[in-house]
Amino acid sequence: MAPSSPTSPLAKTAGAQLAASKTTVEFRAALAAMAVVALIPLGVSNAYWLGVLIVSMYFAILAGGWNLLAGYTGQFSLAPATFAMIGAYTTGLLNHYYGVPPLLGIVAAVVVSGLIGLLLGRAVMRLVGPYLALTTLSFAEIMRLVASNSIDITRGDLGLGVAGLLNSRIGWYYLFLGALVVLLILFYLLLRSKAGLFLQAIRDDEVAARRAGVNVVFWKTAAFAMSAAASGFAGALYAHFAELVTPELGLIGQTGLIVSMTVIGGMGTLAGPLVAAFLVYVLSEWLRDVGGYQLVVFAALVIIFARFFREGLWGLTRTAVQRWRRA
Amino acid sequence: MGIDQDGRAALEAGMTLLSVRGVSKRFGGLTAVDNVSFDVTAGELVGLIGPNGSGKTTLLNILSGLAKPDSGEILLDGTPCHDLAPERLAQRGVMRMFQLTRVFRRMNVVDNLLVAGRALGLGADEALSRADALIAELRLDVVRHLDAGQLSGGQMKLLEFGVCFMVPPRIALLDEPFAAVHPTMKEIMGGFIRSRHGKGQTFILVSHDMPVVVELCPRAVCMNAGRVIIDASTREVLNDPRVIEAYLGGQAA
Repeated sequence: MAPSSPTSPLAKTAGAQLAASKTTVEFRAALAAMAVVALIPLGVSNAYWLGVLIVSMYFAILAGGWNLLAGYTGQFSLAPATFAMIGAYTTGLLNHYYGVPPLLGIVAAVVVSGLIGLLLGRAVMRLVGPYLALTTLSFAEIMRLVASNSIDITRGDLGLGVAGLLNSRIGWYYLFLGALVVLLILFYLLLRSKAGLFLQAIRDDEVAARRAGVNVVFWKTAAFAMSAAASGFAGALYAHFAELVTPELGLIGQTGLIVSMTVIGGMGTLAGPLVAAFLVYVLSEWLRDVGGYQLVVFAALVIIFARFFREGLWGLTRTAVQRWRRA
Repeated sequence: MGIDQDGRAALEAGMTLLSVRGVSKRFGGLTAVDNVSFDVTAGELVGLIGPNGSGKTTLLNILSGLAKPDSGEILLDGTPCHDLAPERLAQRGVMRMFQLTRVFRRMNVVDNLLVAGRALGLGADEALSRADALIAELRLDVVRHLDAGQLSGGQMKLLEFGVCFMVPPRIALLDEPFAAVHPTMKEIMGGFIRSRHGKGQTFILVSHDMPVVVELCPRAVCMNAGRVIIDASTREVLNDPRVIEAYLGGQAA
């Protein structure tokens, strides 16, 4: 039988199930998850746990931004937390020294972190794999040390006090949720456009992408800039939420959390990292209470997922749903 | 969209499309491509043959922008193009199929085709309808929504072949498209090449499959040890003693 015979029923079913664009299914799932998050304050009024969820949303934005770069474009940068720190200091310094209002500062933070991301992206253009990871890690540590040691300007590890934006914790909760949903929609539109095709093509095979006419330099740089801008946005929001900016925002441990969330949720899936951000951060708070094992647990989970479940929790869920439907 | 392949082909027929002039490429002490020159006329289907290690793939790497020649030049429509990056050459209409299949393994068959269509300037709707037409012509319908990494080796080759024709290229450089491919699929690809050649599509076809070269290519260029040893009609080339010697051992000094 000819291998391309149109009568093979097995291949046909497999094709049909994947037909309703993967990205659209993931987008709907992510929106559903955000709807659940929107309902949580109806049952939870404890300020501590609302705070934990707000920080989870901060991380969800960071994980989404890093996923665009690492999961969809294949560029494993170790600087996402650094761009959050850069965003936080941008609005923080503008506010502290020039009294720039937070909303304007947040816009400036997006622009500045995006531009620095663009420059870093150009600088590491030809680097892949461990070389890219180590170079971005050096960049991350240098930026953090600069922030930490420029005591005259940043007040170093003491931190820089900045203006708040909202007084109510519930207000912050829905502001972060709104920001997350807007970013989710932007990522979805981006991935559905030709940019989504090009980024994933670059991830899968850069030479084949160039052969197909994709301007690899442009799109890799763009992915770096967009990812950095998203991180900077999260950092700037967080600065006004915490009313304090410190170099700790750029700690490598923070990047570790972002990587854990993305890998456990499913790299290169729209819904996975966003949902996993909540699971991992809530779990990390709980593990901190029972004895500070969070880093050990996440390191182990990342290794297990990276080795055995390449598409993370999202991939596992999808497989389970498919089996259940077939049964 | 304004790519009227038939019209363009008629206009161009007989003009020199690609000109390789004294191209050399060395890797350390090895001269992989040694002062190679030949022209390809618009609408020609040229077979590029030669034993393993004779420099065919290196020459295709140079023609597709993946390697830069140490000396010599390549003209596309009369303008030098050997300094262009692969993506620029693709946009200028030089499309290349690799010997070791290159597809986007975690993207489905349709998206693999759409990447080339969108990158080469087609709109979303037109790219999709071109992809559909190619999928039907190459009989990839059944695997349409599977990820390319899940395809059989032959299907992957067909898909990569299709990518090269999402936008009709000025010249298609095919590196061993038939190697390790099921006879049915080989027939699909062969029929596709014949029909496009009939409409004026220009090709360089690298193959070790001599019956196929004889059948498809009116003209053949044979390389050995980096040099062109003969460039003539395929019949003449295959009967040339130097070609027989190159293939049957007796390292030509």
